[in-house]
This record gives sequence, C-alpha cells and structure tokens, in this order.
Amino acid sequence: MKTLLDRPAPTAAAALTLRRGAVRVLFDNWTGTSTVPSRTLYPHQWSWDSAFIAIGLRHLSVRRAQQELESLLAGQWADGRIPHILFNPALPHDAYFPSPDFWQSSHAGRAAGAPTAPESSGIVQPPVHGLAAWLVHRADAGASRRRGFLARVYPRLAAWHDYLLTRRDLGGGGLAAVVHPWEPGMDNSPCWDRPLQRVAPAPPDAFHRADLDHGHPADRPTDLDYGRYVRLATDYREAGYDDRATRHGFAVEDPCFNALLIVSELALAAMARDLGAAAEPHTARAEELTRRLVGRLWDDDAGLFRVRDLGSDTLVDERSVSGLIPLVVPHLPTGIVGRLRETLDGPHFTAPATRLVPSYDLTGHAFAPTRYWRGPAWFNTAWLIHRGLSTHGHHEEAERLRQGFLAEAGRSEFAEYVDPTTGAARGTRHFSWTAALTLDLLSGEHLPGGEDLPRAEGLLGAEGLLGAEALPPAGDLRPTAEALPPASDPPPAGNLPPATEALPPAGDLRLAAEDLPPAGAPLRAYPEETTR
Amino acid sequence: MLNTAVQEQLLPGDTLQAKWDFAQQAGYDAIELRGKGDSHFASRLDELKQARKDGVVMPTVCVDMLHFLGAFDDEQRRDAIAQMKSQLTVIAEIGGLGAQTPASYGMFSRRLPPFEPPRSEQEDREVLLTGLAELGEHARKEGVTLFLEPLNRYEDHMVNRLDQAADLIRATGLDSLKIGIDSYHMNIEESDPAAAILAHADVIGHAQVSDSNRFQPGAGHLDWPAWLGALHTIGYDGYLAVECRLTGDPVDAVRSVPAFLKRSGA
Repeated sequence: MKTLLDRPAPTAAAALTLRRGAVRVLFDNWTGTSTVPSRTLYPHQWSWDSAFIAIGLRHLSVRRAQQELESLLAGQWADGRIPHILFNPALPHDAYFPSPDFWQSSHAGRAAGAPTAPESSGIVQPPVHGLAAWLVHRADAGASRRRGFLARVYPRLAAWHDYLLTRRDLGGGGLAAVVHPWEPGMDNSPCWDRPLQRVAPAPPDAFHRADLDHGHPADRPTDLDYGRYVRLATDYREAGYDDRATRHGFAVEDPCFNALLIVSELALAAMARDLGAAAEPHTARAEELTRRLVGRLWDDDAGLFRVRDLGSDTLVDERSVSGLIPLVVPHLPTGIVGRLRETLDGPHFTAPATRLVPSYDLTGHAFAPTRYWRGPAWFNTAWLIHRGLSTHGHHEEAERLRQGFLAEAGRSEFAEYVDPTTGAARGTRHFSWTAALTLDLLSGEHLPGGEDLPRAEGLLGAEGLLGAEALPPAGDLRPTAEALPPASDPPPAGNLPPATEALPPAGDLRLAAEDLPPAGAPLRAYPEETTR
Repeated sequence: MLNTAVQEQLLPGDTLQAKWDFAQQAGYDAIELRGKGDSHFASRLDELKQARKDGVVMPTVCVDMLHFLGAFDDEQRRDAIAQMKSQLTVIAEIGGLGAQTPASYGMFSRRLPPFEPPRSEQEDREVLLTGLAELGEHARKEGVTLFLEPLNRYEDHMVNRLDQAADLIRATGLDSLKIGIDSYHMNIEESDPAAAILAHADVIGHAQVSDSNRFQPGAGHLDWPAWLGALHTIGYDGYLAVECRLTGDPVDAVRSVPAFLKRSGA
C-alpha cells in the first residue's frame, strides 16, 4: 500500500506542469487579501470557496492561506453567521447578481449583527472552514502560533458553529438546516426541486442575472428556478435575516452541509486542545451530530444519505453526491461506510468519462450532464470523497480518485466542473478551488493521517457512538472495532518546522557589531553589504 | 529545487577555495563574486581561473562600486560602463552566466531632499537605454548576460520596480539583458512581489535574496513560499544568490540560509 501511495502523478514532469499551472491560477486570482473563485464569473469572495482555496494555498503560502480565512472571517456577522459572499467594494454592483444592493446586508442585516462593511450576502455556505483553518495551522504550526492564528480564528469559528446549531436547527432534530438552495453550495441540485415547488418565483423582470454574462445558459439554472432563488432571498432579507422571524419557504437538512459541520467540529476540538481550552464540548457535539445525521438522513435502502425536506419532514427521493460526502466523517459506522462505497461504485455514480463523482444520479430522471449541479462532476466533492475514502482506509480507491482528479484538473485547465458523460470541461476555467485542491492532492500531505484531529477517541463510549434508538435497521450501523480509525497520536515533538535553526535567538536580532559602520565612515560601495 | 549561491564576502576563509569548502558544507551550490572598480575584478583573473580549476562554481558577479551606468556625471558613467564591460568579459572567461548592476545606487532618491533630481526622467531614460544597449551588446558578444537590478526608492530614483526594468530591457530588444531581481527591494516596491515575477517572467535572469530587513533570509518577514513559488511557476532555473547583512553569529547566519530556503519551497 505504501508504494501505491508513494506513486507520483503520471510522471514527475506532468506533476510539475500541473503544479505550475495550479499555482499560476492561485497567483492570478489573488486580490491581495483573498482569492476570487474566478476572475470573470465570480469576482468577489465566496465562503466555502475560500475554505477549499485555503486548503490548497497552504502549500503555496501559509501566510496567504491564513489571510484567505481571516479576510472571510472579517465579514462574519455578530450572530455568528459567515456570509456566503463578501463583496469587493471596488467592483460595480452589476458585476454579480444578486449584488450588494440586493442583499443590503449593512442595513437589512443590522439587527442580526451584519457589519457596516464589507457588504455581504445574508445566507451561508457549508461549514468547511474549521477543517480548513486546522489544516492551514498544521501546515506551519510554528508560524501559526507566532502569529496567533488559531487564537484569533477559533472563537469566531466556534461562534459560526453555534449559529448553525441554534438558529439553524429549524427541524428541531439537532442538525443545521439550510434555507436557500445556494446555501448547501450545490445551487441547482434536483434535491431542491420538490421543496422549491412551494416557492412562488419572483417575476423575471425583478432581477437581471449576471451569471449569464459569462456562463452558458445551458449550464446554468433556468430563469424559473432563478426566480425562486430571488424570492427566497428577498423574503429572508425582508425579515431582517432573522431565522426565527422568517417564515422559510425552503428549509432542508443537507447531508454534505452537516457532514462538514461534524468534521469542522472535530477540527475545533483539535484547536481547543492546542489552545489549552476544553476539547470535549466539541467532540461531544460531533458525536451528537453524527448520531443525528445517521438517524435523520441515512437511507439504508438507497445506500446513501438523503436530503430531508423540513416542509414535509420527509426524505427527498433523489440521489445526490451530497449523500456520499458523509464519508468524510471519521467515526461513521463501518456498515454505512461499506454501503456508501458500494453506492459510489454502482451505476448511479460511476461516470463513463471521468473518475470524478457526478453531482447527481447518472440514471436519475433529472440528470443533465452539463447543467449546474444536476449531473456535472465537481472537484471539491471529489476531494471530499477522496478524503473520506482515505479516512476509512480505502487507499486504493482513494488513489484512483486522486489520479482521476489530477488528470481531469490538468486536462480541463482547472475547470469549474466536467461533463461526466464526455469528460468535457464546463463552466469557467482557472477556477480557484480546482487549482487549490490540485495543489493539495499533489502535495503528498493530502492524506488525513497525521493531522491530529480527534477521531474516534472519546467519541465512542462503551455504549457506542450511536444509541440504539437512533438506528434504522439493526445491525448495520453498530460501530465495530474496524469502524474505529486508529487513535491519533499526539504530535511528535519534531512536528514543528525547525525554524529555530535558521533564526538566531530572539536576543540576537539586533545589528551585530560588525554590521555597524564606524562613525564618520565614508559612503560604502554598492551594495552596502561589503563585509560581514 | 532552486540552486543557491552566496556572495563571497559573506563566507569565512582567506581564499575562494576555502570559502567554497564552507559554502558547500552549508549547502550552497555556488559563490557569487563581487566586482570592484578600477579594473580590480579583471586583476583577479588568475585567482578566478585557478579557483575554477579547483572546482569553485562562480556563475555571477555583482558590481561593487560607487558609480554606475546611470551616473549623472559623464566621466563616471563612462567609467562604470567600461568597468561593467570588463566584468562581463571576465565572468565570460571563467564560464559564468553574467554580471549584475543597478542603474545607480546612493546617487539620488526622490524620497529624500532635495527630491527633484538634476536630470529629467526623459534624460534618465535616454542615458540608461544608451548604456544598456552598449553593455547588452558587449554581453551578447561575450555570450553572457547583464542583469539590471531594480533598487528601492531610497537607493535609486530611476529603476525601482520590475516593470521599469522590463520596459527598458524590452526597448533595447536585446536578449543579453535581463532583470536581476532582489527580494528585499521587491518587498518595498512591488504591490505583489509574486505577481510581479509572473508578469515579467520572460525577462527575469537572476535573483538575489535577503529578507525584509536586509538580513539573511529567515531573519525577517518576507512571504518566502509565495516568492519562491512564483519563481518555480515561471520555470526559473537560475540561482538564488544571497546578498545581505547578517544578524546573529555571522557564520551560523550564513550557514542557516540554504536549509531555510529549502524549507520555504526553494
């Protein structure tokens, strides 16, 4: 297995070309404080994009990766929410729709704690930030500690999770709900079709879609769907983005969203431990969330997690890649992991032209190979599934997916997504998270091992992770010994980069006597460093 | 993995051979020479040839004078050009790659009194283009390259940023002229050093390294991974030549740099 893992991308030269291309995308899309997902289609800062971007950027510049996350957190609202878009004030309002004057965050969101600047949207995206922040910290723990990175981001991330688990527990089942199809990140998934039926669309003349200025209409959501998106956002805004006051026309529990919340909660536990705070509340939360995820969203017959429509309190009968993402949860019961693997390898998600995982059931009634999240295969979901496979020890499958990812990323010029039936690149090119996650998978540090995330330890008591009451059909879900990943070791003492050997002791950071020119010395020759 | 070089005056030892022994042990791949004026560098030819025979790798020379090709004074300018030609010839003779010079150093700063230089921008440009054309032509004949180094605003008033150097170099149309970038000056002058490297990739020929405080790499706060990542991205295959002041124990400081650069992505 080791040789398999050590195997480089097809050739060293190809890997170098790929790496250079990915780095160029990240340099080109860097604004000075954060990264735009795309210079054309997405010219502002997006929430979950920034998290995935930071995960790759840490291999290029830890400092930029920290800045990416901290610039996002600078837009956090006082109620804890991290908005899904932070708008660049230097751009005209029509650069993207819905624009700042649609969301009116600084005004309409004031009661909910929106800052006066930057302007932002009022909705959220999946909480992958905790995981990203921990991975960025781990990339150079010494630099992170010197700069106080964790100490700054940890309370903000904890507030973010608090928001999701209090204001957003709309179903009362202990999971975070999303209230707009843009929130789970998979904007146009067929999973939202049924819940959206209850939403009266805004009239087409009430908005102008900027996405069609750069994206192909055949790839993008329909006008009717867009009208519903606008209606939901308008209603939310008019209720002051108050989750309790809003009568949400759309509310669902999404498996990907909640799985990422669990993984990020474990990351918060690791951060707390690093900062000398209590990790247990976070691990307990992760445990409880996992129990709820399985109890409320697992469909044992289908072999994947489903979206729960809170409007009808039923599972949505669609197969989405979202239902496979919970593979990233490290303490998922073995039975479920096995079923997810079968589903992944089965007819619904085995694409003819790519190893990436389609966003929607290839055999589904709503499958459309190029339409946004209704079939195309995305790189971030592939990265998450790769992480899940690795987490559960399925290294061969993970490696196959990694190779497929890297091949597609290069061939597609770091496309936003690919058509799973032809392998053709779709959406925008030079897409930042595709490039960033390419860097991560090229890095050799992409495997979850050694991240010092609390995994199983403390999560599975004698009674097991999942109380019997939470279990659908018996047997399958009971945690077994092999469900437990090996307990992670404390970080070895040598984990910190040996920066000290390059730096003189703090007290020596002064001009050495021999560096000082004698008083009245004539102008030194160029350059000044003529002598030691 | 980029190759590292270190300027000779930073190395302990009385001879180039002794300095080379130290440099190799510290992990350097080459020594960058320093070229003093009054034909001093040319007078070292025998020493340099012997060092080369002894295996010392010396790809580049950095000028070590008080007047330069952009001097206000005609005579100084002529001498600077003559000295640089001689240095190009010598470095060619010992199998090197090229010689580095700024447009000027310590002659004038628009940020310090009296703020307005005695020569117009247009005249500066003409002077520099004339000098660069002559040096570039000489370098071409010798099969080496002249590296023009942008300095920060306090040390030179003419060429502070990569785009200014690139503009002059492109105007001459000579392949034997390239930019010799310096991380310290870029940190002061470029809004995004990594982006500047990408933007002028085709005319970057050499790189000198020191940290934000002019001390050895690792002693300041430059974002080295980003800067080095940009060099990798453009396929830069030249040297990273250490030109800096030293803080801490000087020998330890010099010794620390190759490992630091490697950890930072070199």
